[in-house]
Amino acid sequence: MSLPPASGTGRYFARAAKSIRLIRQGCTNRPFFHISVTHRRRLNSQPVIEQLGSYDPMPNINNEKLVALNLERIKYWLGQGAHVTNPVAELLGLSGFFPIHPRSYMTAWRNRRTERENLAKLEEQKAKEATTAS
Amino acid sequence: MSLIFRRLARNNPRNIVTDAQILIISSRKLSLVPSLYDGDQDPAPKFFSSNVQILLKRLTRPDFNKVFRKRTNHGFSVLKTPSYKFLTNEELEEEIAKANEKADRLLQMPPVVKIQQHIEDVLSNDPALIGYDTAKYIFTDITFGVANEHRIIIERDPDGTLRSCDHDVRKRLNQAYFPLNGRKLREPLMFADIEKLNSLLDREKYEFVLDRACVQYEPDEPSYQRVTSITYQHVDSKSKYELLRSTRHFGPMTFYLTWHKSMDNLMLELIQGGAVREAVLLSALRQDIHGDVANGDVARTLAQQILPTPVQLTKPETLTEEDIQLDSKCVECIEKYITGTSSMKSQQELALQGFREYYQQLIDLSRGLKKAHGKQ
Repeated sequence: MSLPPASGTGRYFARAAKSIRLIRQGCTNRPFFHISVTHRRRLNSQPVIEQLGSYDPMPNINNEKLVALNLERIKYWLGQGAHVTNPVAELLGLSGFFPIHPRSYMTAWRNRRTERENLAKLEEQKAKEATTAS
Repeated sequence: MSLIFRRLARNNPRNIVTDAQILIISSRKLSLVPSLYDGDQDPAPKFFSSNVQILLKRLTRPDFNKVFRKRTNHGFSVLKTPSYKFLTNEELEEEIAKANEKADRLLQMPPVVKIQQHIEDVLSNDPALIGYDTAKYIFTDITFGVANEHRIIIERDPDGTLRSCDHDVRKRLNQAYFPLNGRKLREPLMFADIEKLNSLLDREKYEFVLDRACVQYEPDEPSYQRVTSITYQHVDSKSKYELLRSTRHFGPMTFYLTWHKSMDNLMLELIQGGAVREAVLLSALRQDIHGDVANGDVARTLAQQILPTPVQLTKPETLTEEDIQLDSKCVECIEKYITGTSSMKSQQELALQGFREYYQQLIDLSRGLKKAHGKQ
């Protein structure tokens, strides 16, 4: 099967609402996303208007997640009134192009909370083991 | 080297060579210490000044047979057959001018610049993002038509800091998104493994090493300067300058040796080869870079006289009176250099004496020929 066209083949209607979103491109168990602009009412499997970047959510050997952004074209589509989905807004927020998305802060403090809880549990367990041993 | 020893050890078990000994033997060859352009002084203004560029280009002594030699037929499915044409004098001159231009392009020297500084540019710091992710996020602006060095590449660290990436990461990502032909994403083994580099140098593949270093690295990278400085030192210690002549690497090598004031071996080779004019140019180059040559101003003015004369690739058979005058001036100039600044006085004096005797014979011969032909 040939790959779905990445950019430029989707039909374009000037007055229809646009959306900048992540479009999953990888294969099973290996996610990879294109950041693309497409019509809001269009499915992710359909051809897009233009690809604006890419996002690889799996860390590479240097423990980095790579994001590519065509900032010039993103600016253009924002100027055309394109809607930005939450995951893309989060990425743009982390990159410093947008203000940080509230959901990023939420994820951060939730992660911190679970870590705190895990630590507390560990300590509890250790205390229990110490009491049973003595 | 170590392989030979291992084989020796295998062949006669009585001769016990321990691993430790082998290690010592193989590490003795790594005595070349790379010296980078990382001091206070920036070599770039000196290297790019027109005086120095002209001197370096002349010292390369381009031999068109070598400049336009066939290297590989890589990229050509069919080799072009040479075409022979009858040309008028004007057309021939045009063709020669074209060839000169092409040679200039082929001999363009890789720049010599100061080593790069680390990029430490924190754009924002947001402690509320701690715990968002355990991996770094790296953002690359892939806007069309931006040069690699101006591209925006930034990273968001797990501790919430947003900062510009350092050179190694920038290079990796530039290569990932905008690959350069011939450059590898990972450092090739011949540069990463010092044993392999040494083996190449021992086989005198200097041009291959330097060409590949040019493709793989940027000129201000520490790795580039390390590899090239080791190569230059190896060439210098073996006096194999002839292998790099007529290539684009001879200029930077001469500059390197002169910058570190260790060009006396090159000077000796020039005098031994009878290229006194180039030897004067070399001392003028040192005067331009350091200004510590005994009679530097004389060398400089003499260099201005030498530059318009054609490059002497082979030893001349007959001499004109102007040649004799110029060469004798050159010999005087070099003599002063040897007594004043050189660090290899006795050898260079000996070589100069040899040249003088040879030159005297040549003068006698050409004057005798002139007399025999009945010219004054």
